[in-house]
Amino acid sequence: MDRRSFIKLTAISGTSAALASCGSPENTLIRFVPDEDIVPGQAVWKPSVCPSCASGCGLTVRVMDAEADVVRGGQAGIVQILAAKKLEGSPMYPVNRGALCARGQAAIQVTYHPDRITQPLKRSGDRGSGQYAAISWDEAIKELVARLDTLTDAGTQKALACLTNSRGHRAALLDMFLSRFGAPGAVNFEMFGDEVLRRANALSFGRDQLPTYDLANARHVIAFGADFLGTWNSPVSNAQGYGHMRQGRSGIRGSFVQVESRMSQTGANADEWVPARPGTEGALALGFAHVIIAEKLRLASGAGRAGALIEGWSGGLADYAPEQVEKITGVSARRVERLAREFAERRPAVAIIGGAPLAHTNGLFSALAVNALNALVGNVGEAGGVAFTPQLNIAKPRAAGFRITPDGEGTYIGDAQVLLIDGANPVYSSLPVWKLRETLARLPYIVSLGSFLDETSILSDLILPDHSFLESFVEAAPESGSMVAVLGVAPPVMKPLHDTRATPDVLLDVSRQLTKPLDLTWQTFEEMLTATMMKFPGSSADSDAWTEAQEKGGWWGTPTAAIAAAQTPIAQSPSSLAWADPKFDGDETKYPLHLLPYVSSAFLDGSLAHLPWLQELPDPMTSAMWSSWVEINPATATKLGIGDGDVVDVVSTQGSVRLAAVLTPGIAPDIVAIPTGQGHRSFTRYASGRGVSPIDVLSTMTVDRVGSIAWAATRVNILRVSGPDGRLVMFAGGSREEMEHGR
Amino acid sequence: MGRCSFFTRIIFVSVVAFAGGVGCQLYERNVPSASTAPVLPGQSTGVFTTARPSFGAALNNFMDRRPTPVQPIEFPHNIHVGKQIACTEYCHEAVTSGPVAGLPSVKTCMICHNAIATDRPRIKQITAMREKGIDLAWQRVFDYTPQAHVKFNHAPHIRAKVECSTCHGNIGQQTVAQRNVDLNMGVCVTCHREKNAPTDCLTCHF
Repeated sequence: MDRRSFIKLTAISGTSAALASCGSPENTLIRFVPDEDIVPGQAVWKPSVCPSCASGCGLTVRVMDAEADVVRGGQAGIVQILAAKKLEGSPMYPVNRGALCARGQAAIQVTYHPDRITQPLKRSGDRGSGQYAAISWDEAIKELVARLDTLTDAGTQKALACLTNSRGHRAALLDMFLSRFGAPGAVNFEMFGDEVLRRANALSFGRDQLPTYDLANARHVIAFGADFLGTWNSPVSNAQGYGHMRQGRSGIRGSFVQVESRMSQTGANADEWVPARPGTEGALALGFAHVIIAEKLRLASGAGRAGALIEGWSGGLADYAPEQVEKITGVSARRVERLAREFAERRPAVAIIGGAPLAHTNGLFSALAVNALNALVGNVGEAGGVAFTPQLNIAKPRAAGFRITPDGEGTYIGDAQVLLIDGANPVYSSLPVWKLRETLARLPYIVSLGSFLDETSILSDLILPDHSFLESFVEAAPESGSMVAVLGVAPPVMKPLHDTRATPDVLLDVSRQLTKPLDLTWQTFEEMLTATMMKFPGSSADSDAWTEAQEKGGWWGTPTAAIAAAQTPIAQSPSSLAWADPKFDGDETKYPLHLLPYVSSAFLDGSLAHLPWLQELPDPMTSAMWSSWVEINPATATKLGIGDGDVVDVVSTQGSVRLAAVLTPGIAPDIVAIPTGQGHRSFTRYASGRGVSPIDVLSTMTVDRVGSIAWAATRVNILRVSGPDGRLVMFAGGSREEMEHGR
Repeated sequence: MGRCSFFTRIIFVSVVAFAGGVGCQLYERNVPSASTAPVLPGQSTGVFTTARPSFGAALNNFMDRRPTPVQPIEFPHNIHVGKQIACTEYCHEAVTSGPVAGLPSVKTCMICHNAIATDRPRIKQITAMREKGIDLAWQRVFDYTPQAHVKFNHAPHIRAKVECSTCHGNIGQQTVAQRNVDLNMGVCVTCHREKNAPTDCLTCHF
């Protein structure tokens, strides 16, 4: 370009800039007088409770003045509001003690999500099309009340079904609504739940509850498949205890062995990584117990009831000699002996089991074996061992009254007349072979109480959107993660941004408007929480626990007899269990590889995939983001002719999914792993149509004696489709190992 | 290449850019695109972005040009300061506790002016605004450009008993606030040295 053209261009752009800058649109908006008393520029920190998972971590929320677009009297403008700006862990709260994971940090995006449902909606197009028309709250509640009254008139109250993911008081209130109405209990379906471990703990220790590990005081830890630092149980609490175990004590560094067939974020922290064959973790634990008993490091009788549940325990576990265990697990006999001695000698030591080992057909046995190992070294209830968070006396909802599987006992959800969906999304997280989507699509009437259109709520006829957690009274009674009893509870942090209503209050409102009103005791959810908290002791004689709890975000301490949960009666001991080889779906010759779906550290089971911060969070092991991938051992990949980033089909007896391959040495050669959480068909602009879900190829195998889905028991084959096509997004640009070699 | 006219070159560049764009489109066709979620009533349809609302605003921002602030009413600082109302008492009360001083809402004005000087034209004006539910859209006068990467926090300066006028000049004698002190790094560093305050880069640039 010559000088003259340059000057011409400069003149043109200068003139256009001068013209464009006339009248800045920011100045033309009207400002409305704020409703609240706001000190501009002053930040206050308010307590809340994290909604992202069941750990129930305490939050402290930075609240400051902000500007919101509003329409008042038909006129658009802006108004100052007090808005949540940042979530941090509450420093005093006993579960997370000031820390917060990435999923908790991202939870603020729930409130400001551009695809959040902002007002009541009524379906205007075909079911599932996502076409809705605005409707007022009065009309919407009237419509739901009319539907429920129709059930009452026909005497078919039992045909009211509910899908929920609520916990604590909210679940109790929902259950009270259903039971007073005459409907069965709500369904709370979790594909990757911990039912197996709860059942095992009830059998071994009489506690139907997830355990809490006193990692801070442990000297040695063996974890069987549990990603306890990343996603499992109460990860923030575990990570803090783990940090103290490794670096918090002068002169003492606890040691840590991880047994798993795919290296997780937790496995990457271990001193030693032991890949055992899938489904054989229980045999390995008993191999350790055999060595400990045989070498007289502990007495077999010391394991008491937990040991008696294992066949052959009192005889010293003759079937689990290291050589036999080597044949079952693939871990060498000498290594078994060494690991066993370390476990017995380094006191206190604790064994943890969670995740995939419990999702095999023999999962219950594996859990009982690890429980017996813990009991053998005498760490249950001791410092540095297994503990159980004291539980508070909060009404427990009844068991699920409907089944979502086509076969089995009890009433099928397809027979319901009216369905309430309270935040749950089982259409996404259930097996495709159950055809839940088709079943629900045939129901006469569906009402959603959620804040987003997901695979399940898009089938609804009426949507009554809930407040976000920052706009409502929140509470959580953590099942694990704390040595003292905890009830996290907090008032709203900010006023609602949209025309939404708190679901518990909507239920209470509906219950009053029915032709036969249900007496639910309270007028609002706040009253229900107040009633509970008034029974709690305050910190001093003239203080009340409710006021204190609202200021600090909960109540914690040693529960008095009045507020402690009744001890669950010890489950009747079944006859002792014997080892059974894990069973897998799919013929070994046709489907030579084991599929390990693992819980994504960003999305958990997929319920957080709509948050863009989590979509762009690189996976800690592969650095992949915004997508789905299958992890393959490089040796296996070479055999199959698959390169890094190639597009492959993962095929099981149930179907196939197409995704990119990531080659990583941190996985056993006969295993391939796919993270959960992506593959949503409809879940906001960020998650819809992105990646695939491993649930789509899972078989219907179940865990023996528990009945939950054995999600790690599917065999697959892998077929190369094409070279890399750009669907795999890596933060580091390639597999991390490659980068290490390239240096 | 001989003598090409200016416009020939522009056309040539446009054609190349267009071809490039189409090429990228074709290349990316294999990538499964995220389907768009349906837009519901009450949701904003616009793209969620942090960008400026108009090209002009973006250009002004880029070139560090700010329009001269035009205030919704001519606020007489001199009268209020003359009546011994401290800056930090009502109107800029966040200054003692946080990073920014804050600009008051019409509600704050009405704390006093419900009763005081209600017959003056400007007070009548703000009373009328309050009744209509419309707030004062104050324009900020003192600010740092984003390029300066300065994070100024008022509270520690107030605690160190730095007078408002040190940085904001003789606002007490002005009506509408004017930016009459050039706040460059030299001003900050000189004062920090005089008062033995830290002059580490990270004190202000973080």
